[in-house]
Amino acid sequence: MNRYVLKFRKEGYIKYTSHLDLLRLFSRSFRMTDIELKHSEGFNPHPKMSFVQPLSLGYSSACELFEFETVEHFELDEILRRLNSVFPKGVFAELCYEYNEKNTLASLVDAAGYRVIIPFCGDSESADKLVKEYLSQEEINTVKVSKKNGKSKTVNIKPMIRDIKAEVRDGALVLDLLLDSGSYSNLSPELVITTFLESTRLDEKRYNIEVERTGIYFSSNFHF
Amino acid sequence: MSSRINLDSLLKRVEKPGRYIGNEINQVAKDPERVSCNFCFAFPELYEIGMSYQGLQILYNIVNLKENIYCQRAFAPNVDMEKIMREENVPLFTLETKMPVKEWDIFGFTLQYEMTFTNILNMLDLAQIPVRKKDRTEKDPIIIAGGPCAYNPEPLCDFIDMFLIGDGEELLPKVLELYVSCDKDREKFFNEAAKLNGVYIPSFYDVEYNEDGTIKKLCKLNENAKDVIKRSFVEDIENIPYPEKPIIPMVEAVHDRACVETFRGCTRGCRFCQAGMIYRPVRERSKARILELVEKQIKNTGHDELSLLSLSTSDYSQFESMIYDVIDYTKSQNVAVSLPSLRIDKFAFNVLYRIQEFKKTSLTYAVEAGTQRLRDVINKGVREEDVLTSISEALKLGWGHIKLYFVIGLPTETFEDLDGIVDIAKKITDINYEINGRKGGRFNLNISVSIFVPKADTPFQWYPQDTNEVIREKQRYLREKLKMKNVVFSYHNNSTSSLEAVFARGDRRVGALIYRAFELGCKLDGWTEHFKEDAWNQAFIDTGISKEFYANRTRSYDEILPWSHIDCCVSKQYFLSEAEKASRAVTTKDCRYGCNDCGINNEIYCPLGGIYNE
Repeated sequence: MNRYVLKFRKEGYIKYTSHLDLLRLFSRSFRMTDIELKHSEGFNPHPKMSFVQPLSLGYSSACELFEFETVEHFELDEILRRLNSVFPKGVFAELCYEYNEKNTLASLVDAAGYRVIIPFCGDSESADKLVKEYLSQEEINTVKVSKKNGKSKTVNIKPMIRDIKAEVRDGALVLDLLLDSGSYSNLSPELVITTFLESTRLDEKRYNIEVERTGIYFSSNFHF
Repeated sequence: MSSRINLDSLLKRVEKPGRYIGNEINQVAKDPERVSCNFCFAFPELYEIGMSYQGLQILYNIVNLKENIYCQRAFAPNVDMEKIMREENVPLFTLETKMPVKEWDIFGFTLQYEMTFTNILNMLDLAQIPVRKKDRTEKDPIIIAGGPCAYNPEPLCDFIDMFLIGDGEELLPKVLELYVSCDKDREKFFNEAAKLNGVYIPSFYDVEYNEDGTIKKLCKLNENAKDVIKRSFVEDIENIPYPEKPIIPMVEAVHDRACVETFRGCTRGCRFCQAGMIYRPVRERSKARILELVEKQIKNTGHDELSLLSLSTSDYSQFESMIYDVIDYTKSQNVAVSLPSLRIDKFAFNVLYRIQEFKKTSLTYAVEAGTQRLRDVINKGVREEDVLTSISEALKLGWGHIKLYFVIGLPTETFEDLDGIVDIAKKITDINYEINGRKGGRFNLNISVSIFVPKADTPFQWYPQDTNEVIREKQRYLREKLKMKNVVFSYHNNSTSSLEAVFARGDRRVGALIYRAFELGCKLDGWTEHFKEDAWNQAFIDTGISKEFYANRTRSYDEILPWSHIDCCVSKQYFLSEAEKASRAVTTKDCRYGCNDCGINNEIYCPLGGIYNE
């Protein structure tokens, strides 16, 4: 089996490319560089490739992971060289690994790290205080709307927040979040951002806030 | 030059922000400060529409081959983006550099469809460029436009400085280089450009009108103004550069596929079809060149679908051997082939069978009219029995979705012709019962009926369009009669069709109507959800312009038509004789069976005239 994991960055305006559009871009890139992907069997064959964890529209990322399987075997450097020769500005493949475990990586995702950058005029002491206040709440309740049936329900997201570190840099509050991620328990940073702004009464528009994914972590001992 | 606009806070608030970011694979990067001319090519519609347009890829490629010229792109933003741009005072920008369009030398619009006209005004306004020519100064870019609607450019004369008429591949770069060689001296540039075939500068002319509203005469205001502006031609289509590395749209476009033009022009001579007149003569690419382009495009884009582009795909003179070679290659690359504008005769049908094999999509037949008499009037050489035989064959082979296109409101149409449409639908459903049994199997028949819009430079340019009332009556009639099992009847909005008719044959005074509609907020008029019928009605009232005068009036053959000075190089004599033959339901043969004297060969060699007789 020729299964690989590609680690790539998604930076700049390309962060406004949706998950599906990026998937199309990857499929084009493989075709352009003659890296033939293996196809699934069956009535409607599709190439074996997927992003390990979808990234929200508008987020940049330092550590996106992409799994794929090729028909022939390739040297890892060769894959990187070929893909980077066609990727548009803002997408850059950094590393490639062979990956031949039974489970897909996507099924092993456990947590994800995000850096949230909020315009801020306080100092680092007041920043620490805000985070402490936020986390000292007994429960952090918010309304979650189900994508399936459109019903909304109140959830307590606090148990899904593993860590928040705060720092003030260049007139911005930089929050490093570590959140539950994956099929078992998943927390979107959007819910953290909304509840944080609410509870701290920071009056900032969502569109002035930048989010970057900083890491994807696994339940097994994988590290990319 | 000003700096790049930061779009981050805007893009987080809009739908499909990927439309506005550029940076696609195969986008061309140049430093705008290091070129001698910056040109912005605008398609006055949303990104996903504009990026499906092959002409954009062709001209973008050919202009950017000139090292000293940079061609960038701009599209109409959607309403959500526009609102925020206006709130935040962000001017219209080009996708390549995110710099304001108003800083570029020349801003060019492609005119593909009349209902995009208000978008042009809106885009100029968003670009912070005065919309009307008379309000602009030397600080503003020169505004140019070209494309099929430029064959009657008059309704846009208030807004456009220069029109390019005809094939753009040679003319557009030539005009841009002329601008450079004139040291950007506008007066000199306009005077020199006016001497080129295909260049029309409206401010060099004035129009006088008769009391009845028709045109009295065209007055020349400049010594370089020609009496008649002849369209430009690309003579050597084989060797003209064609995109080998087209831009791959970031957001999925309407047509997201590799695309190779096999030939330009059409010899069929359908009398309602403007494209069939203004793209003459037929000029084919060689089979070898087509295959070369197919391979390069697929290689350079990774597209998994290929479309062969022309006005009538199977009319390519070596269609059989060309298409089988193409299919051999695309199959080896797992690329699907789609053949738009295919006349589904026996042979084309075999080709389709080979292309689609297991994945049978729908089959589309452009029948246009319900009776043989009316098809003879419009010179559409399709016979009912051929359509029925072909559909019967298709149903046997497993196709289940059949689409038929018709046009209503054609000259001389009566309710008998509408009954003909119903009759054809009935015959097809009967054929299906015969083949698939009383339950009918997995079958549906889509009858799509559009409304006839008489166009400039066609034999029907003198004919009236049916009034909205008559059209509504005809639609109602068909809707009732087509209530049949498995038949879906769909039809067009008649308000947009009558506006199209006004613009397609409008004169300079229609510019006031477009301007007023723009002031009243009309834009994206091609989208049902954005079309503001009330605002358009208001604009007619406010400007005193009569819709009937332009849309529903029969012109006399000696009337000076607003586009009389724009010469598509098909002669008036030919249009007249075709109009006369139409009124007698007499057909004209395909030019391949012998020259019909349309006049095009007075200007350029017509390679396919009479080839079937040799």
